[in-house]
Amino acid sequence: MSDSTAAAGDSARTGGVADADERSAVSRTSQVVRQLKRNSASRVGLYVIGLVTLVALVTTIDADLFDYQFAATFWYHPENDPAGSTILLPPVGIENSFGTGTWAHPLGTDHRGRDVLVRLVYGTRIAVQVGLIATGIGMTIGTVVGAVSGYYGGWVDDVLQRFVESLYAIPFLILVIAIMSAFGKELGIAIVGVSITTIPVFTRLIRSQVLSVREMEYVEAAKAAGVRDRHIIFRHIIPNSFAPVLVQSTLQVGVNILIVASLSFLGFGVQPPTPSWGQMLANSRQYMIVNPWFSLWPGLAILATVVGFNLLGDGLRDAIDPRSND
Amino acid sequence: MTTTGYIGRRLLQIVPVLLFVVTVTFVLINSIPGDPVRILVGPAADAAAIEAARAKYGLDQPLYVRYVRYLAAVATGDFGTSIHYGGVAVTEKIFERLPVTLLLLASSFTLAIGSAIPLGIFAAKNRNNGYDHLARVTSLIGVSTPSFWVGLLLIIVFAYYGDLLPPSGLVMPWADPASVDGATSRLDVLTTAASHLILPSITLGTLQMAAITRIERSSMLEVLNKDYVQLARAYGVSERTILRRQAFKNAQLPVLTVIGIQMTTALGGAVLTETVFNINGMGNLIITAVRAQDYQLIMGTTIFFAIVFVLGVLVVDVLYAVIDPRISYGGGSGE
Repeated sequence: MSDSTAAAGDSARTGGVADADERSAVSRTSQVVRQLKRNSASRVGLYVIGLVTLVALVTTIDADLFDYQFAATFWYHPENDPAGSTILLPPVGIENSFGTGTWAHPLGTDHRGRDVLVRLVYGTRIAVQVGLIATGIGMTIGTVVGAVSGYYGGWVDDVLQRFVESLYAIPFLILVIAIMSAFGKELGIAIVGVSITTIPVFTRLIRSQVLSVREMEYVEAAKAAGVRDRHIIFRHIIPNSFAPVLVQSTLQVGVNILIVASLSFLGFGVQPPTPSWGQMLANSRQYMIVNPWFSLWPGLAILATVVGFNLLGDGLRDAIDPRSND
Repeated sequence: MTTTGYIGRRLLQIVPVLLFVVTVTFVLINSIPGDPVRILVGPAADAAAIEAARAKYGLDQPLYVRYVRYLAAVATGDFGTSIHYGGVAVTEKIFERLPVTLLLLASSFTLAIGSAIPLGIFAAKNRNNGYDHLARVTSLIGVSTPSFWVGLLLIIVFAYYGDLLPPSGLVMPWADPASVDGATSRLDVLTTAASHLILPSITLGTLQMAAITRIERSSMLEVLNKDYVQLARAYGVSERTILRRQAFKNAQLPVLTVIGIQMTTALGGAVLTETVFNINGMGNLIITAVRAQDYQLIMGTTIFFAIVFVLGVLVVDVLYAVIDPRISYGGGSGE
């Protein structure tokens, strides 16, 4: 077959297939959206994600909206102490040995007299940025690696699978800690580190999908028509495995937010004075007895956010796969 | 393919994986800025002392020489010596700390599996009623909570306010009674050990418990909807017998997969739990090693974890076939 006839056959045969794919994809999508709307749990998930993302966006765009560092300057320059801030205040209306909580600091203050609520709000940035971006990068790389691995099989598959197993074999927290120690405790590095730990999750998922899709008639047909491998992988195999990837990505954002928090808790995350939830929890450890409230809020923030992503992920799974058990 | 053949092939596959792990860790660790030798000798040391220490630990050689030497050493089971712990062999340090972490892992997994499997089956049996919802909300919160936060809250409630359980440390149940505070007999040691183990085990086990409950529930539901189970019901077999005889065993494969995956998560979780409770186990060892830039110790512990993990995966895969005889030992499904 000459090149031109191959190309003609390509468009003639796959054109129809693609149209059919697209049409069913649209109706599937609207069906999934309808299912999601009916499921109150996933609606709650969506609201939580919406709120958290909005907060993260606003505080990223306008980093000076609240003065989350004021006490850091107070630390070095006591004369800048704004309105005589008090350390380790409890929430409004509650009393501890440092004083009574006021509306000026609804959730209390931390060990440097900084407002806990403001720092929680700013901590959202790190969690959401790393959660979303790292999952996106890990998903993209993992999906491509998994698709290539499953489609070609043979030695390509062998090499890629050993690579993925190696990534699995190093406990992911330790891998990220090593990466952060080697290349710097910065936001960008944290994103790269968490992305790397995300890759194997999607590689495995996609590979198993590809192994079943690979034998489908339309893929056989495309192959027989001389369609290029790259085209088959990116136009047919990956889109057809999209549903489980979407579900897994949503759940993975939650997992990655937990990893980032753990990293900050151990002191290997983004460094102070930039606020992050894990770091706030690490700071609170020393003051657990005198002001236990300080340990409560950042944990609740992490819990609520991760619950949001898990609810949406579960809802998506139920909506996409009607066989699943809810 | 026979079982032995399969295990042999899988063992061979472990070699490139470990080689890759060693290489990645080696490159990463050597990219950490700073000089471990300077940390070791202190700021007052003169140039000659620094050079002597550098030569002593082989750090005066170029990177590729160190890499080849390290590979050769690791192949013979020699993980080098720890700079931070004054030249103690890395393997010695690992085996000193290992029992602590193993005890913690065993205790938390016992707790997790022991509670999750009945809970999951219970939820599946009571599908969509109040108990099911309660079990599902509990497990949702469990998979969404940072374990170290659970640890902090447990310490606040049970150690500081309740004054019921100790907030830190771990006592080994086989420790000499003379070495344990306030213990005069073996029984004292055992109770002290148990009281120290409760909070860390809950902390580490929460995530595992929640994840296993979720998969147990959905896996049981799937099996309970299978034709053969419906048929058994139609024949009047009691629900109890169906659960025990027909559904349970067949539902355990996905559960086993999740337990396998949780092993790697648990190793990371051990790092956090040991930090929260100041337990001197493997997790704390790694964190200390990273902080002190103790190259050999970081590499040794990481590679050790990797070996444990790949062997663990192998065991899970073999268990698979024991549970489900339908699984053959053929190559991947692509072959």
